[in-house]
Amino acid sequence: MAQQTLLSPAELAYLHSSLSLSPPIRPDGRTSKQFRPLTAETGILPGTNGSARVCLADGTEAIVGVKAEIEKTADPLGDDGERYREYVKSASGVGGGDADEDRREARGEWLEMTVEIPGLRDDDAGTVFLAELLREALLADGELARKLWINRRFHWRLYLDILLISPPLSYPLPLLSLTTHLALLATRLPRLKSEGDEDPMFDDDWEAAPFLYPRQGAAAGSRPSITLLVVAVGDSILFDPSKEELAVADSALAVSLCEVRRERGQGSMEVDSGRELRLVAMRTIDPPSRLTPPGVPSTANLAASGTADVPLQQKQQQTADEAPQEGVWKAPLGGTPFAVLDSIIQAVLEKGGVADEVLDGLEGVDLT
Amino acid sequence: MADRRRINGPGGSTLPPVYDDTELDAVSLRQRAPDAIRPLYLKTGVTPSASGSAYLEIEPREGKHGSGMKLACTVHGPRSLPRSAPFSPYMVLSTHVKFAPFATKQRRGYLRDSSEKDLGTLLETALRGAMIADRWPKSGVDVVVTIIEGESTRQDAVERRVEEWDAMNVLGGCITVASAAIADAGIDCVDTVSGGVAALVADKDGGELSMVLDPVALEHESVLAACCVAYLPNRDEVTNLWFRGQLPSTGTHNYQTLVSKAVQASKGVHGLISASLSEVIENSQA
Amino acid sequence: MPLDTSTYSLALLRIDGRRWNDLRRLHAQIHTQEAADGSSYLEMGHTKVMCVVTGPAEPQAGQQKRGTAGGGGAGALGGGQKDAASIVVNVVVAGFSSVDRKRRGRNDRRIQEMEITIQKALAANLHTHLFPHSTITVSLHVLSQDGSLLAALINATTLALIDAGIPMTDYITACTAGSTSSYAAGDDSADPLLDLNTQEEQELPFLTVATLGDSDKVAALVCESRVQVSRLEGMLVVGVDGCRQVRRLLDGIVRAKGSKMIKEGVVQRSDLMAVSLEE
Repeated sequence: MAQQTLLSPAELAYLHSSLSLSPPIRPDGRTSKQFRPLTAETGILPGTNGSARVCLADGTEAIVGVKAEIEKTADPLGDDGERYREYVKSASGVGGGDADEDRREARGEWLEMTVEIPGLRDDDAGTVFLAELLREALLADGELARKLWINRRFHWRLYLDILLISPPLSYPLPLLSLTTHLALLATRLPRLKSEGDEDPMFDDDWEAAPFLYPRQGAAAGSRPSITLLVVAVGDSILFDPSKEELAVADSALAVSLCEVRRERGQGSMEVDSGRELRLVAMRTIDPPSRLTPPGVPSTANLAASGTADVPLQQKQQQTADEAPQEGVWKAPLGGTPFAVLDSIIQAVLEKGGVADEVLDGLEGVDLT
Repeated sequence: MADRRRINGPGGSTLPPVYDDTELDAVSLRQRAPDAIRPLYLKTGVTPSASGSAYLEIEPREGKHGSGMKLACTVHGPRSLPRSAPFSPYMVLSTHVKFAPFATKQRRGYLRDSSEKDLGTLLETALRGAMIADRWPKSGVDVVVTIIEGESTRQDAVERRVEEWDAMNVLGGCITVASAAIADAGIDCVDTVSGGVAALVADKDGGELSMVLDPVALEHESVLAACCVAYLPNRDEVTNLWFRGQLPSTGTHNYQTLVSKAVQASKGVHGLISASLSEVIENSQA
Repeated sequence: MPLDTSTYSLALLRIDGRRWNDLRRLHAQIHTQEAADGSSYLEMGHTKVMCVVTGPAEPQAGQQKRGTAGGGGAGALGGGQKDAASIVVNVVVAGFSSVDRKRRGRNDRRIQEMEITIQKALAANLHTHLFPHSTITVSLHVLSQDGSLLAALINATTLALIDAGIPMTDYITACTAGSTSSYAAGDDSADPLLDLNTQEEQELPFLTVATLGDSDKVAALVCESRVQVSRLEGMLVVGVDGCRQVRRLLDGIVRAKGSKMIKEGVVQRSDLMAVSLEE
């Protein structure tokens, strides 16, 4: 998903140097850890199990709808699996003592995810990468798949359809992740009436349907993970980069976090103090800055200096190997030192930092 | 009236006999030291028609429950872009990762599925940082990695659902083999990039956690977290970092250690790439 | 679920309590998205669609190819992109839009057909010759479907195009019309129906008609079901009349938005504007 920016090399160089300052000067005047303001609403589509819509201030908008279907759990051993196991049991003489162990055996494939980005094919590599990234982050804590378990023979199959409504102005990862988070928070599944391994029966009353991620009671606690996009420009670390900032980033990292709440009653009654952030997934994103056109220093510019005596071969060698000149844009080369990656992760996990702020903000969204 | 012209099977179905396999656990445990990687075989220049190619094989484990991974990579180009393509000041890199249909227990189709496309994007990120792309404007390079044999071909891998962790090993192998093939094609890079994997695993008794290099998920009771890096040893830089899983909040097992272990693994692999490449040069000079 | 049409003749009320010539509740918003050139949101009953218009803009690399492949005859109607803007229509039907989740790919034939229908209806009525060498991209998202999908898509597109300020001869409004009994019933006394929902669409013959403004000029007409010729005229008349009703509603929405924008001072009032600020 290489969104070409229409910035000239000179503009890129200017932007890069102003972002590398300490504190960085961002084009929209934000501080390095500030998110763009967003508006969010949930429960917009009554035909789904849960839905959410988020609009970022730059006008990008996403809608996520969650739908659940009951599915028979396929036996890894095929249709005869049940008989086969009984047969093995009777042959080996081992009782069903291991029942508890594989009771809540959940599988990641129960969550199906599609991402639709206008103007891009749905099997485009960039779209698939985004979907896999979000999926991996949601499944990494193992909670979600376990919630889909009904009994040993049936499970919920959860379809998450992510729609980017607006054209992709900036890398849509944080927007899609936050929308997905809200949609999952608003998701309700019908209340189970049957017991044990019998065919599942559900309560018709939608009012009685419990939330997939309950907020009160014993089961309260876990939350779906969120994924933040963080870029490093020079020595500064910027959260929620805009398209232009991404175009000059030295490296970009998608960090997925999940919130673990400690049990209450450890002295303090405040909920927020019990929040603990845990890293669940990380991926390097290929920064589009690698595809930006390089600037030509005036010393190497034939039109400016007028000396064409230097053999072309040598000239090319020169420009490629030259140390980057101040004020001349050159796309970043090589990887990221680990120290930079480490400081990005530290900034994300920092207590009371951006992640906390985002989670607090999401907490405030009214779930209907 | 019975059909006497054919040999008919019995009326009811029967189940195949099941033998209790007692040595299953004994064989599948990790024999290597925690900081040892499996022996590798790497050879470049295996496909004469491609501008660069490499073959990588990881030594299969003892016993019948595992197999090594076999990967082949071909590099085509740099060649001129098709006329319809827009101008690019850089070499346009495109990567394809494909499992052979017979590479895993579950047959893979001929079309690339989402996990293969995902691996392709991750590989592209890893390679793009290493290549000096501005030396080939208006040209394109195709890197095609085929996984001839996957890591977990056996039934127990399917049963224990460890395939998801194998994707990291596959990516590590892909990065290594693609890096060697790019060097074989003579495309300028800042350094030879190599892939390394490390994981935090729990072993059977007592749930003791340990960090291992080059993990094989089947050899452990469970994998808690794993990390794959693409590393440039001479510049000490990471071009791709892929981490997944849960780390205990306290103790020494944090992500920094895990990443540094993965870097350690890729350093080991890097030695192999350089040895293999210098061998080729020596042979050509002799 | 089969539709019970037997009660209609008794009370002359449809399954959702409407009379034969009642439209469902039509709710629409214009300019829903800041970043887009033009955008709209439209509900016809439970059918909910969103539309985003980008352009007229320079055609992006690769878009041409997609336009002709996915959007159908975009290239052919765009006049070779030399002397007129080409129109690219993308329809995305969300997986969660129907009762049972059904995923439709980009290359689904029915979606492609709708894209082409919309694209052709627009190409004939937009002043594309004012924007040579450019592309107008219309991307439509279906969030929920309950009948009259094509009609809702056309209406939403019209609103978004007005928001984008793309000159067009008049509103293109669309509506569905059906008949109270199925083809097989062969009932000559069947009454025409206006604005069908999914249940009715599945059982009864229907057509979608789009007209230009207040005139009787038909911009698009799609009939995919089998129906006696004698009934067709009645259905068409009712459909065209429905389009007029829809036009009045859409016009009201546009005017309300316009006067609101003037009141808020977003745009300057000019003498050329015939906007009444009474409401």
